[in-house]
Amino acid sequence: MRVLVVEDDRLLGDALQAGLKQAGFGVDWVSDGLAASHALALEPYAALVLDLGLPGRSGLEVLGHLRRSGRRLPVLILTARDTVQDRIQGLDQGADDYLIKPFDMGELAARLRALIRRSSGQPAPVLELHGVRLDPAAHAVHYQGQPVTLSAREFALLQVLMLEAGRVLSRTQLEERLYAWGEEIESNAVEVHVHHLRRKLFARLIVTVRGVGYLLPRPEPA
Amino acid sequence: MRSLRARLLALVLGLVAVVWAGAALLTWRDARYELDALLDAHLAQAATLLVAQFSHELDELELEYEHFPGNRYEQRVAFQVWGREGRRLLFRSANAPRAPLGDARGGFRSVRVDGADWRVYSTRATSEDGDEDERLLIHVAEPLSVRTNLAAGISLHLLYPLGLTLPLLGLLLWWAVSVSLRPLTALAQAVQQRRPDNLSALPEQQLAELAPLTQRLNQLFARIARLIDNERRFTADAAHELRTPIAAIQAQLQVAQGVSGPIARKHALQQALDGCRRATHLIGQLLTLARLESQAGVALERCELGELIAGVVAELAPEALRRGVELALVVDKPVLLAGWPALLQVLVRNLLENALRHAQGASLVEVRIGTEPGQGSRLSVCDDGQGVIAAEREKLGRRFYRPADTLADGSGLGLSIVRRIAELHQAQLHFESGSTGRGLCVVVRFGD
Repeated sequence: MRVLVVEDDRLLGDALQAGLKQAGFGVDWVSDGLAASHALALEPYAALVLDLGLPGRSGLEVLGHLRRSGRRLPVLILTARDTVQDRIQGLDQGADDYLIKPFDMGELAARLRALIRRSSGQPAPVLELHGVRLDPAAHAVHYQGQPVTLSAREFALLQVLMLEAGRVLSRTQLEERLYAWGEEIESNAVEVHVHHLRRKLFARLIVTVRGVGYLLPRPEPA
Repeated sequence: MRSLRARLLALVLGLVAVVWAGAALLTWRDARYELDALLDAHLAQAATLLVAQFSHELDELELEYEHFPGNRYEQRVAFQVWGREGRRLLFRSANAPRAPLGDARGGFRSVRVDGADWRVYSTRATSEDGDEDERLLIHVAEPLSVRTNLAAGISLHLLYPLGLTLPLLGLLLWWAVSVSLRPLTALAQAVQQRRPDNLSALPEQQLAELAPLTQRLNQLFARIARLIDNERRFTADAAHELRTPIAAIQAQLQVAQGVSGPIARKHALQQALDGCRRATHLIGQLLTLARLESQAGVALERCELGELIAGVVAELAPEALRRGVELALVVDKPVLLAGWPALLQVLVRNLLENALRHAQGASLVEVRIGTEPGQGSRLSVCDDGQGVIAAEREKLGRRFYRPADTLADGSGLGLSIVRRIAELHQAQLHFESGSTGRGLCVVVRFGD
């Protein structure tokens, strides 16, 4: 799951990037409002972590701009402003959640997972399809009750495909959802991860649509 | 506590009494003069009547004259009739003394006989035969006290109404003063009943005497409200500003906890330490700013600006060297001013640190002191870095403001501190672009 962090404080931005990466997110970090708006226009992020006191364009302006352009991506505001008035304003401007500094890294990751889950119409925290059970919080995958060991990248790929079950996703779309900026993408990385997933789980879990992309089919209604 | 109403009342009643008493005194003097004239005329007339009577029927006997009191003044009139060239008392009224009231000279005089003061009119009557021996000497007299009592009576009569009217006047005045003072009482009550934290304006006053007072009070309330608001905002801002470094420290420590490799852990821990340094710096700056607010009571000292600055420049030279920036002090003209040396050093240090840490691409930072014709002394800190665009320059010096694209981490308080110190020295802070069009110049202009 790729998220965008907008934070102008160097130390905090660095920590957010490292901490969210540890929690299994792909993280891009920008430190001002304009860069945030540009990044949001270009990349398909699963969520946005937004500081309000930003140089250039304020956090609320970034948020307003995002919502006016019709984007529904979940936004979590991360700020030092803790009055009820501030919170109301943030939520009314279109934020989905509000976390006050200082915060717990684990809580931030959990809230982001919940936001992403809800935004993909998936209310249960654990994804379960075709006997594959994926627990984002525990970072664990079970197949038919047996634990399966996946690399971080394989896990993320499986999560994206399960969240978007029934939709064909192109290789580029998958790469965009998985890799943060500056991360080395091997030319056939997605193919390799799909291959590994098929081997570790079962072959017909992921369907290749030749020339288009990959698809994790929804189970047929019984 | 003294009351305005009591004072007004006492003053007005006192003045009324004094003026009235003055009038009574004048009346007494005037009455005394008129009485003298009138009563003298009476004496003369009485004498004439006596002469007319006694020049015809002279009796050898010394007669006692029976007197029937008429009015209360009448019995005071006394007379003596002397015959034989004034050697024999022929006749006298009951209230007249036996001793002669006068001598052979005629006319009015005031005399003292047997311890009493008399006003006497003397006249002579000659018998028809012209015998010198038969000449009569007549004194008509009246005690002087009669006149004094009369005049005093008139004056006292004038004073009686004062005694009656003064209390009445006092009551009326009390009412009038109360009515007049009602707006003042209302104002005092309004101020008294205010809660200490109520800083809203008092209602506009229609009275010319009270309007300046309420205007001033309202100005004062507004100023205090502004100050309190500033303080409140500052405290809130300060708390918020501290949250970010603390959040960074916490997040970095949690990253360090969860990370697997030793290099990544070391990096995270190092970052957490940086966060602690940042928080410490911020707290230090906040305390400096708080202390500045209580500076006003400390005595001013004579400061040689060049010497003060040389010390700061020497302190910061190693850091400048490390950053590859040349630091220079140029004294165009020595500047002596009354100020707080420690604060002036803080001012210069903040400006120099700003220039060293935030001026991107600077290779020279120059402190210059001197005088400007007609503008007093001047201190400037200039760098030759990228400078700050005019729109951003206006925002410099706002608390916690950090321009966009700042690479370095600062508290955002340095220029607030500089500005406050400048204010304490009645100096003004200006931002200009460098002399060559590059960089930023911070100029402090001292008055006098």
